[in-house]
Amino acid sequence: MGFVLTTLIFAAIGIIASLCARICCNKGPSANLFHLTLVITATVCCWLMWAIVYLAQMNPLIVPILSEGE
Amino acid sequence: MELLKNLPEMDLMRSEKMTFVQLIIPVESAHRAVSYLGELGLLQFRDVLNVFMELNDDKSPFQRTFVNQVKRCAEMSRKLRFFKDQIHKAGLQSSALPTLQPDVDLEALETQLAEHEHELNEMNANSEKLQQTYNELLEFKIVLQKAGVFLVSGKSYDTAEGTELDDNVYPSDYPESASLLEQATQSGPPNSSGLRFISGIIPKSKILLFERMLFRATRGNLLFNQAPADELIMDPVSSEMVEKTVFVVFFSGEQAKTKILKICEAFGANCYPVPEDLTKQTQITQEVLSRLSELETTLDVGIRHRNAALHSIGFHLTLWMNMVKREKAVFDTLNMLNFDVTKKCLVGEGWCPIFAKPQIQEALQRATFDSNSQVGIIFHVMDAVESPPTYFRTNAFTNAYQEIVDAYGVAKYQEANPAVYTVITFPFLFAVMFGDWGHGICLLIGALILIAREGKLSSQKLGSFMEMLFGGRYVLLLMSLFSIYCGLIYNEFFSVPYHIFGDSAYKCRDDSCSDAYTVGLIKYRDAYPFGVDPSWRGSRSELPFLNSLKMKMSILFGVAQMNLGIMLSYFNSIFFNNSLDIRYQFVPQMIFLNSLFGYLSLLIIIKWCTGSQADLYHVMIYMFLSPFDDLGENELFWGQRPLQILLLLSALVAVPWMLFPKPFILRKLHTERFQGRAYGILRSSEIDTDSDPGSPRQHEDEFNFSEVFVHQMIHSIEFVLGSVSNTASYLRLWALSLAHSELSTVFYEKVLLLAWGYNNILIRMVGLAVFAFATAFILLMMETLSAFLHALRLHWVEFQNKFYGGDGYKFKPFSFAAIADDED
Repeated sequence: MGFVLTTLIFAAIGIIASLCARICCNKGPSANLFHLTLVITATVCCWLMWAIVYLAQMNPLIVPILSEGE
Repeated sequence: MELLKNLPEMDLMRSEKMTFVQLIIPVESAHRAVSYLGELGLLQFRDVLNVFMELNDDKSPFQRTFVNQVKRCAEMSRKLRFFKDQIHKAGLQSSALPTLQPDVDLEALETQLAEHEHELNEMNANSEKLQQTYNELLEFKIVLQKAGVFLVSGKSYDTAEGTELDDNVYPSDYPESASLLEQATQSGPPNSSGLRFISGIIPKSKILLFERMLFRATRGNLLFNQAPADELIMDPVSSEMVEKTVFVVFFSGEQAKTKILKICEAFGANCYPVPEDLTKQTQITQEVLSRLSELETTLDVGIRHRNAALHSIGFHLTLWMNMVKREKAVFDTLNMLNFDVTKKCLVGEGWCPIFAKPQIQEALQRATFDSNSQVGIIFHVMDAVESPPTYFRTNAFTNAYQEIVDAYGVAKYQEANPAVYTVITFPFLFAVMFGDWGHGICLLIGALILIAREGKLSSQKLGSFMEMLFGGRYVLLLMSLFSIYCGLIYNEFFSVPYHIFGDSAYKCRDDSCSDAYTVGLIKYRDAYPFGVDPSWRGSRSELPFLNSLKMKMSILFGVAQMNLGIMLSYFNSIFFNNSLDIRYQFVPQMIFLNSLFGYLSLLIIIKWCTGSQADLYHVMIYMFLSPFDDLGENELFWGQRPLQILLLLSALVAVPWMLFPKPFILRKLHTERFQGRAYGILRSSEIDTDSDPGSPRQHEDEFNFSEVFVHQMIHSIEFVLGSVSNTASYLRLWALSLAHSELSTVFYEKVLLLAWGYNNILIRMVGLAVFAFATAFILLMMETLSAFLHALRLHWVEFQNKFYGGDGYKFKPFSFAAIADDED
């Protein structure tokens, strides 16, 4: 689906999640900032994981060689 | 930058602001004030007397003001423990009355407890005596029953008929035995030949030895009958029921009698006189039986009476114990205060958070009002010499993470708290090492069960392992959620890949798939959209591909987390207005780390994007060994060689940059600050004479240049060498995820599939059971602990040593709630 498109999807999910956190538990500016930090950190970590695995498979140097007995 | 400055403060990021306060409390409201402060739980008292140790050498810990009260409280809690013990021994359930009793006065409670103890002790002593008498009578009854049988049959002893009864006539071990048989046959009626007997009862375990002793002592001149008692008898010493045996010893002669009596005493056998006459026997038996039944009723009544008393105590027991604990805590705290000159007030000092000041003032006012004191309590802020304690206000969710961070070291006052990021990165790094969405679902179920039964489990007393597990339930929840995510990325469900996100990107080169086993498949589409392509699982080139992927992934995560750590040190320097640190520590550190390992990360990404065949090991090594040589096939992008030379030079420059300037500049600043040395004395007179005089300020006057320089050198060397070792340390992410995946594959293929290959249902069940146990114990428990530990190490060492001081101390307020938790 393309690298850029999926990255935009991750960003959109992140924004929706932070809006949900703001709506569900609005407990003052300090707690809001903390929740936002958590959501952003989680989104960045998950996106990084996905991006690494996707980039590694974009131009692979080796291909799967099936083993006997499959 | 504007946006960053206008952000609201995050409470968890830095410690709550603390302030040092002094309390001056008049004596009549002291106890009440401290109790109310204990209920509030927001003030940490400092032990004033310890500070005065140098000045008041005569005040030893035993001469504190309220020592007597503390002793009385200790005595009361001893009595309460005694009651609890008694209730437990009596096997009663202690049920607390749910109604809120008004606070009982301490002195009244003391007298009440003393009364109860006296009563209980009396009842116990009485019942013990009764029990002893009862036992003796019981033994007498049994002896009468059994010995009577021997004596009756003994009268008809003319022949060796005695062997039909279960008496012990010894075999030819003893040469005297022959004579015994002869004696039995020769003797006439027992009474007339001076044959007497002793009857008694002895524990069954000792009877053989007892018999032999008697035999040896009387040289075989005795007849020993025994019969086991039907009932179990209570042994007074060990208070257990033991089996006893009734014995009757027939002997002749006075000396034999004394010897036998002595042996009986030595063996703890109780002797009871049994009359030979049958009528007398029955008479005495009747008497004993009636007395026994009387005693039984008396004992029963006694026990019921005692149980009633214990029951009534049991109602109030928890309440009283709590009260006594609280009073003891209050007196211990009062001991920390000091009487002032006029002996009319107590002076105390402590730390409290700034936000708590109104609450504390309100509690103190209430105390003044409730104790009808004329004078109010003075509560004012003071300057402190030492560093304040660190206080984070956590909720049930963030508490577990804060404890994880605190286990390594409590944050210095107001430095950045790594827990803010640890909440997400710790479960995430765990998941990178654990990645399997089948196992993740199992962990999720476990975490949800713990959270759903939160209310019930938090009030119970749990074992230490369950307690740790329950305390970390939210950590476990996040760990399981991230594990499911990483499992989807690695495409492993109990090591089985699925085509959840579409078809694989690989297919056979031609329709016959003839060279799929030699040359392999071919990539005909775009990369698999989410995660690892399912075609890789089971192929021969799976490990080379996954190893390369996971190693590079570990390096990328490592460099990212370390950069985050250095950024946090930047924010710390900004907060403490330490521009020296920014210029001579943050900047060179960033340059060094990123010109080497940031560049490596860049190379990794470029190699992935372009599909180049360059060997990154060679690129990095030759960047150091021969930077000016032509790159040849290792060239990934245009301008790589000049860039590498530039980065190498920056790294080389960064090392002395972080090593040399800072100590020299610190020395220059120090000499500037203390140029007017003479004014130092005037400054110190502004200090409150009560506070700790002198020692930190004295240190400021000295500036040990060599110490500072060595410290900076150690710090720089640690960073430079550490950057290589820490980056390599992140490879454990690869290692553990490989181990997990391999273990999972082995259990799936070699246990489950193997067992499923057979048609036998029994083998299949056994295989399934072994697979389930292996998954539960090895993968779910051991691997979880292992990945938890390694993720923890990565946070504590590799992440936190970039910015964390961790040499503060925790805020421990005087709080009744904390005491209740502690004791339990």
